[in-house]
Amino acid sequence: MARVKQVSEHRAEGDVERVYHELRQTLRVSGVDVSLRTWAAHPRFFVAMWEAMGPNVETRAFEELAAGLWQEVLDTTVRWEVLGAWSAVKLGPSQRFHARGALELYEAMQPRVLLMVSAVRLALEGHVVGRRGVPGELERLERGIPSRMAAMEWVAQKPRDALTRTLFTDIEKTVGPPGVPGEYRALACWPEYLEAAWRRLKPRMKDEDFQAAAESVRESARRRALALPFEVPLSRERVAALGEDVNAIARVTQALETRLPSLLLNLSRLVQDVPDMLRQPMPGAARLVPDWVAAEELR
Amino acid sequence: MNWREWQRQQEVLELGQRFVSYVDWGRGPPVVLLHGMPTWSYLWSGLARGLATSHRVLVPDLLGHGFSDRRDRFDRSLSRQAEALEAWMDRLGVVDAAVVGHDVGGGVAQQLAVRFPRRVGRLCLMDSVSYDAWPLPLMAQFGTPWMARRLSPEWMVGLLSWALKSRGFAKKPSAELVEGLLAPYATEVGMVSLSRDAVALNTNQTQVVSPKLGHLAVPVWVMWGAKDRVLPAKYGERLVWDIPGARWVSVPEAGHFLMWDAPHVVAMELFRFLEGEAPVTHAPERPVAEVLWSEGAPV
Repeated sequence: MARVKQVSEHRAEGDVERVYHELRQTLRVSGVDVSLRTWAAHPRFFVAMWEAMGPNVETRAFEELAAGLWQEVLDTTVRWEVLGAWSAVKLGPSQRFHARGALELYEAMQPRVLLMVSAVRLALEGHVVGRRGVPGELERLERGIPSRMAAMEWVAQKPRDALTRTLFTDIEKTVGPPGVPGEYRALACWPEYLEAAWRRLKPRMKDEDFQAAAESVRESARRRALALPFEVPLSRERVAALGEDVNAIARVTQALETRLPSLLLNLSRLVQDVPDMLRQPMPGAARLVPDWVAAEELR
Repeated sequence: MNWREWQRQQEVLELGQRFVSYVDWGRGPPVVLLHGMPTWSYLWSGLARGLATSHRVLVPDLLGHGFSDRRDRFDRSLSRQAEALEAWMDRLGVVDAAVVGHDVGGGVAQQLAVRFPRRVGRLCLMDSVSYDAWPLPLMAQFGTPWMARRLSPEWMVGLLSWALKSRGFAKKPSAELVEGLLAPYATEVGMVSLSRDAVALNTNQTQVVSPKLGHLAVPVWVMWGAKDRVLPAKYGERLVWDIPGARWVSVPEAGHFLMWDAPHVVAMELFRFLEGEAPVTHAPERPVAEVLWSEGAPV
């Protein structure tokens, strides 16, 4: 697959900028990750995708589905050997603080992104995704980025230092398109740590049980996507009617769904490698909606 | 020491919703070294080790700068910086300290000395922002949405690097030093944070404390690079005139970043400042306000 251009948050304009803002507020993350940035290269599809997914993403049900998925991933990898990267490198207190913050951020975000990707993939394949819930009936989460979530900081896609550049090439080749995943670009702020981690993560990815675990995560994400509370009104026809390249979008979405489970397994190993890391770092608070507002919505 | 090694030495302190990265070395009477813009605590890496042989050297990154909190959700004004520093000193058990501020750090030091006088046992202002001498046009422009939207991190760092080399130093700095000074701003998060820092620059924040500097009851030194082309020495002379008893130290052959242009001279003068020894002083002629305007004040 040819490299797909990503729309950075910095460069986003118009509706894409608006959707980025809503994504950050609703997903409650401090930035927009590679997967979503890649979708944003098709702006009309991107807006339609968010209109379809947004009502789901803001609910407690979505949060719990994503949390359940992440718990499955943690339970799978907790039996695997300890990674040992965290203790193998010499990082100072400030560096560990920030690296840990980056891991917490991706831990909070990536399961939700996989759930979104699976829902879109299934919808584009013609499945009926989500249930026929009525908006306003379900508990929604407080919007906004948790106060202690780290900023989403990345090293450039083409870094100047040779070590990171080599690592990025290897990572992209191993995990597949499109582009170097955000968590690795974040961890590249501490190149020695990324190198130590990747050297331990990569060999395991070829193992049969790793592949089987990834497939299991993928299937679980699909099952959970089908159980979203509200229907996801997306289809190839609708995307075509928007004037977008359906095949290109399907290819990107498929590529994302192929690699995200493996990335989640790796992320889980990284998280479990850090002492005393919280399993659910950024739980969402209920959105306080006055009764009269809820009643208004139900009419 | 390169910037990664310096960052490795940093510790992190959480202050409510914010966090401060800092270096805390040595034992003895405490001295706090404050950096300016667009730098971070690494600015002091050349002097800190030496000072730590006889003092407790505390070198924080200001909020929004370096590797302190750079998330886009707080006030970065000088007064807020001073409040955060006061809380930070409190948490570290530092009752009062000798405070040395460079550039914007000097503005923060002025705020700290005026608003929290018991925290400042001695005050040294080095090539400091003061009166209406700032913000510099380039830094002010970084705060405009137009600039922030159109520059990439690479371009911005390139521009700053050029500005530092051509205006900041009297002697050619090493590439490693310039890269280190700008390292935290070389990412999108860093660039946005610097833009927010630039927005917070406001002449009023020094103007409001200027009339009160004369009431300070602690030893005050004003140290300036004689060849400073960023904040001309006449502003330092005006400070000395307005602060009764203030000592004037002009460092020949040094530009704005005097601690790198003339490290031995600055180290010697700092030891004298900390030990309470009076330097050879040359009381400047009283500056005339009109002169400040007519000689191309960088307003």
